Amino acid sequence: MAVIGAFCVSVNKEICVNARMPGKCATCAEVCPHGVYALDPFTGEMNVQNFNVCVGCRICAEFCPANAIRINPAESEYISRYPWTLSAVEEIHYKAQTGEYLLRGFGTHGPTPNFDMITVVPSQISSAAPLDKYREGCDMEVVIGEGTCEKPVVLKAPFVWAAMSFGALSKEAKMALAIGAAMSGIATNTGEGGLVPEEANLARGFIDRERTNKKWEPGGYLIIQWSTGRWGVSVDYLNSGDAVEVKIGQGAKPGMGGHLLGAKVTEDVSRVRGVPVGSDALSPCRYYDVQSLDDMKHMVAFLRDVTNYQFPIFFKLGPSRPYADVAACIEAGADAISIDGLVGGTGCSPDLVTQGVGIPTIACLPPAVQALKDYGVHHKVKLIALGGIRNGLDAFKALAMGADAAGFGSAAEVAMGCRVCYACQKGNCPYGITSQKPEMRARLDPLVAGERLANFIHACTEEVKILTMLSGHNRTMDLSTEDLRAMDLNTAALTGLKLCGYERPLPMWEQVLGPASGNGNGHK
Amino acid sequence: MKAIDAKTIDLKSANGAIKSSLNGQPVTVENAGHLHGLAAGLKHGEIVIQGSAGDYVGVLNDGATITVTKDAGNYVADNMTKGTVIIQGSTGYGAGQYCYGGTVVVHGNAGDFTATMNKGATVIVCGNVGKEVGTYMLKGDLIVAGDAGENFANYLIRGSVFIRGKWASLGNNTRQEPLTVDDKARLQAYFDKFDISADPATFKKIVAASEKPFYN
Repeated sequence: MAVIGAFCVSVNKEICVNARMPGKCATCAEVCPHGVYALDPFTGEMNVQNFNVCVGCRICAEFCPANAIRINPAESEYISRYPWTLSAVEEIHYKAQTGEYLLRGFGTHGPTPNFDMITVVPSQISSAAPLDKYREGCDMEVVIGEGTCEKPVVLKAPFVWAAMSFGALSKEAKMALAIGAAMSGIATNTGEGGLVPEEANLARGFIDRERTNKKWEPGGYLIIQWSTGRWGVSVDYLNSGDAVEVKIGQGAKPGMGGHLLGAKVTEDVSRVRGVPVGSDALSPCRYYDVQSLDDMKHMVAFLRDVTNYQFPIFFKLGPSRPYADVAACIEAGADAISIDGLVGGTGCSPDLVTQGVGIPTIACLPPAVQALKDYGVHHKVKLIALGGIRNGLDAFKALAMGADAAGFGSAAEVAMGCRVCYACQKGNCPYGITSQKPEMRARLDPLVAGERLANFIHACTEEVKILTMLSGHNRTMDLSTEDLRAMDLNTAALTGLKLCGYERPLPMWEQVLGPASGNGNGHK
Repeated sequence: MKAIDAKTIDLKSANGAIKSSLNGQPVTVENAGHLHGLAAGLKHGEIVIQGSAGDYVGVLNDGATITVTKDAGNYVADNMTKGTVIIQGSTGYGAGQYCYGGTVVVHGNAGDFTATMNKGATVIVCGNVGKEVGTYMLKGDLIVAGDAGENFANYLIRGSVFIRGKWASLGNNTRQEPLTVDDKARLQAYFDKFDISADPATFKKIVAASEKPFYN
């Protein structure tokens, strides 16, 4: 609802199939998740019924057989009408009419502090010389659980797929993520909705359940999520993966549990989750079986025990109090901690929580890293940055700020074909990614989508490699905040990064970071 | 019968000893009150914990029969899928939470949030229970022979709740329903099996008012 009125819809009637032959085509109405178009049942004519609700996803333009649709941004109301923009007005009308708050999918939109106002500092003459991306090697491997479990996870590139559940995503999308992980040597994650039967084999690169036919090298990993709803959880489920993730929260709705609306609770989903078909599956906001940090320590202890001390234990945090929360995870016995920033996505959340609750990812990282350093476990307990990571450039910046890996959630959906219509919760995804309807799911080929995901990871890996080596490093482990600069005061204030031109952190950060190190020209 | 003295060993050693001792004979564990997560994730066997047990006893149980001869801590049989966990004394907070199957029997009292998010287990408490017991239950049976605290069976979705005593307040989305002949027979079978002295006819039955109480 927050993007309402932001786009102009234009249909070229000279080439539109429906305009020329009414009743012959209704593609735009069929694929639009928001009801912008309406087919007149008597005349067969297509009309732009409600252009104000267009969110600019351009799904209609992509599907239009005549290429007759253009979607263009309208003039920003943030200049002409703020704060009484059309979206603000319409939101009040909606609440007044229905008595309901807004629910929607995907992540935060609109301006929030992000990685874009951070720039990468290349090496020149005063620091270590840049390295040659084309002719020299770069170590990007990330080992999780070394020394604490029998089978550490070894990521071939510093990436994971963020946790997204079966239910929120279709079975085909879950399979595609597993295939993409196997082709890339990274990890996929069950999310909280239980296990899709094929997921465990595909993630390891096997096409058959017996694991005799390995199709994809190098093979990836499956992180099994243990969450507050405990959907589909058993001792066998926990042992079907390569790591266990204790979900505390997520970026899109920290402090709330999961929301899977009844429209997406099909028989398959019902079978896994144990909720009636068509009934909302709402995970609790907290663990009913944890009341203290000691309980959490005991939980980690028994999770290690029932998995025979084989697998690393991950924690996933929403963006709240990063220093204290990361410290608690360390004390509880984490091998890796994912921190999911404000922009993190979801299949469904109250709009106000997605828009207005949580700390931006770039502001979560410095205190999280500080906690790891204070406990003497930075780079031993791995930190995974989530929330609004779109490409190798964002990922590189997160790594240089102290993370060991970065996770893609929303970007993974986009890599599968999503065009960001913010309607995941409705279950009508025209790409079959977030829908449980057979006719929609049939549009998503797991093999094709898996290959797209692997291509995306390959490109991002190369991007991180370029940036690492032009910064004078041959290991992502060696990146540091010295490889970055903030380009504005806000970003410098939020992150403690040196400000471009000023070449040192803002004075407010000196107590945290110590006296300004060096003159800003070289590495520490 | 194999006996394990857990007085000076940690969880890994205790559970390892239990697993390696499960060869068809019952296993007895003594002095285990300091261990949390004892007898976790077992698929078979009969384990008797002499005395009291700590928190999370029988967590993720997947087929074993576990008996605690005195009291147990919090979260008894957490996330059980199969098997039986019997507490001859009382338990703390949250017994029988998140269970997909199996049976939990508490001969004494049980604390708050017992049988929360029960997804298919039978949870029997012979004494009283605390508040918020049976919250967001999705399947299975909850049987309370004593009294219940506030918000009993709050947001019940499916499954049946039986109680002999009083409740401080009933939770949302609940309604009372008469006991059927089948209900009485089912209760009697449980009582016979676990040596519980109670008359099924004296119980009240609570079911969900709607399977879809949220949003819609």
